[in-house]
Amino acid sequence: MVAVKAHELRNKNKAELVKILDEQKQALANIRVQKVAGGKTQEIGEARKNVARVLTVINQTQREQLRLFYQKKAFTPLDLRVKKTRAMRRALTPFEKSKKTVRELKKLAHFPLRKYAVKA
Amino acid sequence: MHRDFSLFIAWTELFKSSVKALNAKKSALKGVHGKAVRKIRTSTHFHIPKTLVLNRAPKYARKSIAHAPRMDQYRVIRQPLNTETAMKKIEEHNTLTFLVDVKSNKNQIKDAVKRLYDVEAAQVNTLIRPDGYKKAFVRLTADVDALDVANKIGFI
Repeated sequence: MVAVKAHELRNKNKAELVKILDEQKQALANIRVQKVAGGKTQEIGEARKNVARVLTVINQTQREQLRLFYQKKAFTPLDLRVKKTRAMRRALTPFEKSKKTVRELKKLAHFPLRKYAVKA
Repeated sequence: MHRDFSLFIAWTELFKSSVKALNAKKSALKGVHGKAVRKIRTSTHFHIPKTLVLNRAPKYARKSIAHAPRMDQYRVIRQPLNTETAMKKIEEHNTLTFLVDVKSNKNQIKDAVKRLYDVEAAQVNTLIRPDGYKKAFVRLTADVDALDVANKIGFI
């Protein structure tokens, strides 16, 4: 069982990756059949991880492309948005927090924090 | 002595036309729905009036990309069985026995067998074993020999 390498997979395009995925799933199914027939079972772990690797590459590249596509758009799909926590998503933005009333601005202007130095 | 009514008549005509003009202006300002008309109700029951129903026109997709089919043929069929009773079924009843995914149904099993092994299933029976796995008995069509297929799959 040859281990599939992720960095090699990333050069391929979607159609090829889907084909490779199918092949790896087929290989996994064959190993499962062999297990029943009393054959070698050590390769099962590697086969499962191969399938996982191909799926990871497929999904990662897909999402990356989608993010590029939606970069300039106003609305993005929900699963491409920042997740954080519900409360944090609804909190004030840093700009909104920084806003000050005119009264406060005047105070800051007229009474800034003074720095003093003590003569030795 | 005849009074000069011509001036009076002219004045009344002017008055009438000005009244007409004023009324026209008023109704033009009020618009089409100026007068309140009471609807004639022919039934004592009030049914909710039909209003405009728009189709959905979402500004963004909720999911960025649709998921690949989750229950594909590799997920449906887990492994074939080669126990004694399973072997008996192969020889005598032309059926293959598989352990399948618990969430799969008979149609999916039939489809999966077709995709994986290129054989038509005449009938599928399923049961759920006491240890939680689903067992499927797939009877093949009469023109195919289950023993051959089993040899081809490789679990004999």
